[in-house]
Amino acid sequence: MSVREIRSKLVGDAAIIYPGPYLNQFKGQRVEGRCQEFLGRGIRRVVINFEGTELINSIGVSILLGVIEAVNEMKGTLVLSNLSESNCDLFEILGLKSRLNIADTEENALAAIIRDSLAQGLELESLGPDVAAAIVD
Amino acid sequence: MSQSRVGQILGRVPNTQFFGREAEIERLCRAGKGDLSADADRPAADRPAPSFLRRFRVDPATINLVLGPPRVGKTEILLKCFDRLFTERGHAVPVYHRIEQRETGVVVFAREFLATFLTAFTAFRRNDPNRLFELPGPLPTLVRGAAAEDSGWIRRLVDAFDLATQLGDPVAMLKCALSAPRVAAANTGLVPVVMIDDFHLVVPAANADERAGFFWGQEVLGSLASRSPRRLAAYGNANWVLCGLGRVLVEMLPADEELFGLIRLFEVRPLSDEAFEQTIGAMATARSLEVGESTTELIVQQLNRDLFYAGSLLDAAAAFGRPLKTFMQFERVYTEEVTQGRIARFLDAVLRDAAGDPARLRASLEAMHMVTEAGEAAPREAILECMTRYTTGAEGLLAELHLRELLNSDFEFVRPSVDPVLADYVRVRYRREVSGLPPSLVGDPLLGRRLRLAYSLMMSRHNRAVESKLVDVLSRFDFQSIPTASFLSVRDSNSGLNDAASSDGEDETRIRLPQIVCVSDFGSSDVRGVAWRLVSARGFDGPIYNEENEVDWLVTLIRSKEPLDMETLNRICERQETAGQRGSADRSARAVRWFISKEGFSAAAAEHLSSLGAYGSNYAQLDLLSDHLTNLGQEHRNRKPATEFELVIPTDDEAELIAVRTVEQIARSAAFDQGAINQIKTALIEACINAAEHGDSPDGKIYQRFQIDDDRLVIRVWNKGRVFDPEVEGPARRERKAGMEQRGRGLQIIRALMDDVRFERTDDGTSLVMTKLLRRPPSVVES
Repeated sequence: MSVREIRSKLVGDAAIIYPGPYLNQFKGQRVEGRCQEFLGRGIRRVVINFEGTELINSIGVSILLGVIEAVNEMKGTLVLSNLSESNCDLFEILGLKSRLNIADTEENALAAIIRDSLAQGLELESLGPDVAAAIVD
Repeated sequence: MSQSRVGQILGRVPNTQFFGREAEIERLCRAGKGDLSADADRPAADRPAPSFLRRFRVDPATINLVLGPPRVGKTEILLKCFDRLFTERGHAVPVYHRIEQRETGVVVFAREFLATFLTAFTAFRRNDPNRLFELPGPLPTLVRGAAAEDSGWIRRLVDAFDLATQLGDPVAMLKCALSAPRVAAANTGLVPVVMIDDFHLVVPAANADERAGFFWGQEVLGSLASRSPRRLAAYGNANWVLCGLGRVLVEMLPADEELFGLIRLFEVRPLSDEAFEQTIGAMATARSLEVGESTTELIVQQLNRDLFYAGSLLDAAAAFGRPLKTFMQFERVYTEEVTQGRIARFLDAVLRDAAGDPARLRASLEAMHMVTEAGEAAPREAILECMTRYTTGAEGLLAELHLRELLNSDFEFVRPSVDPVLADYVRVRYRREVSGLPPSLVGDPLLGRRLRLAYSLMMSRHNRAVESKLVDVLSRFDFQSIPTASFLSVRDSNSGLNDAASSDGEDETRIRLPQIVCVSDFGSSDVRGVAWRLVSARGFDGPIYNEENEVDWLVTLIRSKEPLDMETLNRICERQETAGQRGSADRSARAVRWFISKEGFSAAAAEHLSSLGAYGSNYAQLDLLSDHLTNLGQEHRNRKPATEFELVIPTDDEAELIAVRTVEQIARSAAFDQGAINQIKTALIEACINAAEHGDSPDGKIYQRFQIDDDRLVIRVWNKGRVFDPEVEGPARRERKAGMEQRGRGLQIIRALMDDVRFERTDDGTSLVMTKLLRRPPSVVES
């Protein structure tokens, strides 16, 4: 199930990271590293897309909390998207849900980021037509 | 066969007045029969003919030692056992022989035993119990009276005995007599069950020739214990039941491994309160005596469930037509019995028998009076010093009094007997014969004392019941997980049973109980009408039996009429501290304090308990906890055998995913829905992480067992070595928990996703046991 490398992409000035099927210590550290990489490049808007993430363990959660903290310290925004019901329950159990930005889809996550960023004068077109449509909707 | 359907032959107490000993009789009968399988209970006609082969399958010799305090009812159990075996007409032939006097010596014993044996055996063979009551004639008459098929071997046996007698060889006589059961077994295929009562009398009296007594006492045991193949082939087999004073019998056993290998111990304990009450009721009815209900309860408490004392009192009351409807009526009869009645004369004889001569009697009386008045442990040196004023050989005399359970002596202290009637007798006799006080013209001061104590004695019955329950509950602590709010937390006086019970589902805080290995009584005390008893329960609350995990639950059982207030609680805490320090030399174990107050606690006291990190409960919660532990045990026992799967994975990175795939298939096959399966998977991941993180597993493996029951999936995860740092919610470890937030997250997840989570001690570590209940759709449940 586990794929060693994680995927990520840039949509405008937002980074999207895909942790893969199992967010454990190893994958968590990879996500953390990739996120630090983006932050180092001045990209402060991050979406972590959990589509296809079947399992998250407690160590993965701990690392994820560290990532959120790092983004917040940089005055950035991090949104989690495409969480399965069981993964969503996991954050609920740990009492973390209220501290997280959660969107149901990647598009909605980006839209939430952009709404948050519009005040800072972000160009809507730079995000591509799909995202722009989601925001307009 | 129940006792009520058994004819009364030797039994002295009518079956209609005999209660509470069914289990003992059954067990002794089976042991006497050598546990000859189910055949022993079948009618003779249905049984296959016995053969030598069958006989020798039985353990070569079984010595059943029936031990117990004086007058606990051992003899009657033996007699009822005799009656049952005789009436059954089975494979086992009962023989009852009572050693009448300690001075008989080996020759008389051998002759009387042989006569008793042959009489009983013939009575059984002829199915004629009347023969048991005929005066024993000379041995040759027993040959003539024997059944035709037995006369040959009986004649040979008697001839051999006569020859030994003519030779003047007491050892040969003894061995010949003791071989009679084996000879009988070899010639008849039956199994004699030989019961020797008052076997302690083979030990010489303190004033007798010790060498002679010990010689034949040990000779008896040595002969019984023989496993020589030659002797077995010659004599067959028999089962022996030796009964007598426990302390004496145990003392006389030589350090013989072979002998101990043949011995089975039967401890006879006093009747239960209920059985004793039933017996009193039946005895009173048989004597046409009126006994009030409360008086019956008082008799139970005051006579310490002693049937001899009870019989004597009821006989005395019946003889003079005096009902026992009130405490006063009972205490009058009691006082007369203890001062000048049958009980007094009996205890006179017991003391005289133990002491031997007047000087030793005086020394005995002084010692017993001293410890009786002290009411607790008195220094042994002081007792011996006192006794030495009246007699030489005080050490030996003290040992004799101890063996006869007239007091309890160890290397340092001497304690009074637990027999309250004996204590009254000692006081009365001491006052009359030692103190020099003028005798009463009418009545006795004992009557006043007993009346004063009667009501508190009645109360003590209830208190003892609660104390017994507490000890029982503590001794059943075995790592169970229980909701704290239901049993160990009382917020104020009003949060009693109802609040506690309802909070079970609301407050999920649970505590894992320790495993208790020892419960000790640290004594009792009282302050301003509030009485309490302190109990220490030591055990382990961690996965490994080491000092770090050793725990001492200091439990205080408090009786008060009101919710316990702050001031009294503080006083109890102070005294508890002192008693705890005095009660245990080793205070290394972590202390957990638990206060159980009958009526709960005031709000301030409850707050204070919380600040102390102590638990508080009321009596109702103690009852609930007892029931809860019983239910847990019952649930465990009733569970059907389950389908099980086992999996072993390495602690390598992501190996837990293999476990997840496995449990997914298992859970699906057990009809769990996808949501539950996801929860199980997540919980299992966390359990594996725990095992991998915290284990010092020498083989680097995680072991898992998946067990499917009707309505649940039970997952057990463990490794070999120090496994988990288990859930510890006790106040003593809360601080440690703060630093374990990250680690605790895994357990938090497991607990939230599974229906039950607990840690179980295994031989080489701890296993985490998680249970997920199968919640079927309503339609499935209905169908």
